[in-house]
Amino acid sequence: MTITLSGICKTFGDFTAVHPLDLTIPEGSFFALLGASGCGKTTTLRMLAGLEEPTGGTILLGDDDITHLPPHKRPVNTVFQNYALFPHLDIAENVAFGLRRRGVKSVRAQVAEMLDLVQLGGMARRKPRQLSGGQQQRVALARALINRPRVLLLDEPLGALDLKLRRQMQLELKRIQTEVGITFVHVTHDQEEAMTMADSVAVMYRGRVEQLGPPAELYENPRSTFVANFLGTSNLFEAEILSHLSALGPSAEAAGEGEEPVESGTSIVFEAPEGAETPADAGAAEAPEGASAEEAPGETRVQVAGADVTLRLPTSRCAVEGAESVEKGTKILVGVRPEKIALLHPDEADAVPATDNQLTGRIKDAGYLGVSWQYLVETPACSDLTVYEQNVERDTRLTAGADVVLHWRPAHTFALDATQDAAAGEEIL
Amino acid sequence: MPTSTASPAPEPTDHASAPRTAALSATGSATASPWPASSRSLGALLRRLRRNAVVMAGCAALAYLLLPNLVVLLFSFNKPAGRFNYAWQTFSTDAWTDPCGVANLCGSLGLSLRIAVLATLLATAFGTVAAFALARYRFRGKSATNALIFLPMAMPEVVMAASLGTLFLNMRIEFGFWTILIAHVMFCLSFVVVAVKARVMSMDPRLEEAARDLYAGPFQTFWRVTLPLAAPGIAAGAMLSFALSFDDFIITQFNAGPSTVTFPMFVWGAAQRGVPVQVNVIGSAMFVLAVAIVLGGQIVASRRKKS
Repeated sequence: MTITLSGICKTFGDFTAVHPLDLTIPEGSFFALLGASGCGKTTTLRMLAGLEEPTGGTILLGDDDITHLPPHKRPVNTVFQNYALFPHLDIAENVAFGLRRRGVKSVRAQVAEMLDLVQLGGMARRKPRQLSGGQQQRVALARALINRPRVLLLDEPLGALDLKLRRQMQLELKRIQTEVGITFVHVTHDQEEAMTMADSVAVMYRGRVEQLGPPAELYENPRSTFVANFLGTSNLFEAEILSHLSALGPSAEAAGEGEEPVESGTSIVFEAPEGAETPADAGAAEAPEGASAEEAPGETRVQVAGADVTLRLPTSRCAVEGAESVEKGTKILVGVRPEKIALLHPDEADAVPATDNQLTGRIKDAGYLGVSWQYLVETPACSDLTVYEQNVERDTRLTAGADVVLHWRPAHTFALDATQDAAAGEEIL
Repeated sequence: MPTSTASPAPEPTDHASAPRTAALSATGSATASPWPASSRSLGALLRRLRRNAVVMAGCAALAYLLLPNLVVLLFSFNKPAGRFNYAWQTFSTDAWTDPCGVANLCGSLGLSLRIAVLATLLATAFGTVAAFALARYRFRGKSATNALIFLPMAMPEVVMAASLGTLFLNMRIEFGFWTILIAHVMFCLSFVVVAVKARVMSMDPRLEEAARDLYAGPFQTFWRVTLPLAAPGIAAGAMLSFALSFDDFIITQFNAGPSTVTFPMFVWGAAQRGVPVQVNVIGSAMFVLAVAIVLGGQIVASRRKKS
């Protein structure tokens, strides 16, 4: 069932938990609401469940208006944070609860089948407190799924589990979702969890959806500093726009749905993901392959603040209001992900492709992380530029204090509106 | 005190003459201990005592609590020589075979039981509702209500008894069964509220949300989830009410009519003239019954936990 939220909002006294929000969650998708605590994601989920009355707006499930339906009349079930299993009922009765309330007479076969699905066949007569956290989590899942809801809501379902079990349950949840094929709406503060499991992610911040899209698109093409910092890490530094080259270049269409900056309107309509269209490496998909050596159409040039360095990036990757028509000198924030940057010793600077963005700097710190090295590089653009290098054939000259040349492809560069807080979304968990 | 690690010099004991080698081989200890076997076992005994000190302290406390009951039980089998049942004479089961043999005793017992049951039912019902209101809802005067609920528990019973009596008198209500019942419901109420409120406050509100989410309407949610979860608190409040109502004397004394004599009042009256053995019988029976109920509950609970 497609869920359509239109203008849905919630205020508690003076506090606005959710600003008017439009969201379309396509049938059969695994949809994640991602954000730090207090961003309104759980309130949104509770409004879907009917546990919270929206202050305004409507919720459609398919074509049915369920905005004012009480929770027990909605074909929607929830897996609660900390599971909320009934302590006075055994596992089988917990799972059978929903069926019994709807007057189903013989529940045994269904309960047994559902317990098998979550691999708890032998636990039917135990009480919830006799089970481990992971087992309780699976009971909560079975208790919701047995009702064959049209939408399953998951409120931080893995939050209480340890890391290893969480990984395991992530795969398990994804498997079950594929198996039963119903719409999952998953609330989490764990960006990794959202990216691993969800077909599409809505990043929420201060009661608004910051950006919505497939995980790879959010990661590769963040449209706000919050998204850039909350999903992974980003190097952000100030720059001014030098020139636009043919704003209506081929990349205009590549910009597509992501082009509209979130803050310009609250209307975000998300199309159903069609599987294959979500490439693992969306950087390639987002940027026209082979940005040629010459100044390509649809390219923006920027000058780094306080340095005589010019960087280039596709205009489609400028998340600045009216990016195509902004004037020269407009301040922006330029961003690049740490793993996109390559480090070279100055002796090999010739090897840098002419089209690449280039910076020089000095390594402040080099940290060994096993799979990679993490460098902190002082550059004219930014005094703490982070770079991740794969731990393969490392140049031994790249130690703290060494001069380096940094380069990356323009297609891996993005630009954000400079009026926002560059540190938004940092240091959260 | 000789322990295995204390002063190095061997102390003379009864078995000081026993060869040291024997002591060593007997204990099998790796360290060459200078202690003969007997003092080592004394050390072991002390260690064991120390380890079980808490258990022993508990047993002592229990004995302190139970000894009076045992004395009452014992004297229920006495055949007193005079009117007073204070000195042991001869063993007899007369009182047990004829518990109602004393005039008015069983009548007062019946009255007490009737009042206790009714007061418990009413106080539990009202108290539970009040506890839910105080735990779940915000309303004007909530904190004042919270404080006032404690008042009957904190106030000296005599004061409450006298003021209630004055109230009934001024309202020209005839003293009797109903005035006693009203008074009992009043002071039981606060205990029920306190017990149930504590339970309701500790209940996870998400459990009820989960029930609503799983197609339980408001009534079903209350019946299937809220009530079973609050039950231990309600049961505790009810039991407390029964016990308090059954043995209340002061408040009852001030609010009873001439013909309504409860069991505590009967005992009090009898004590002036000499307590009949039957009072011991009733007391012991009540005690044994209460212990049996508690033990039964424990057994059922542990059996349920095992299965």
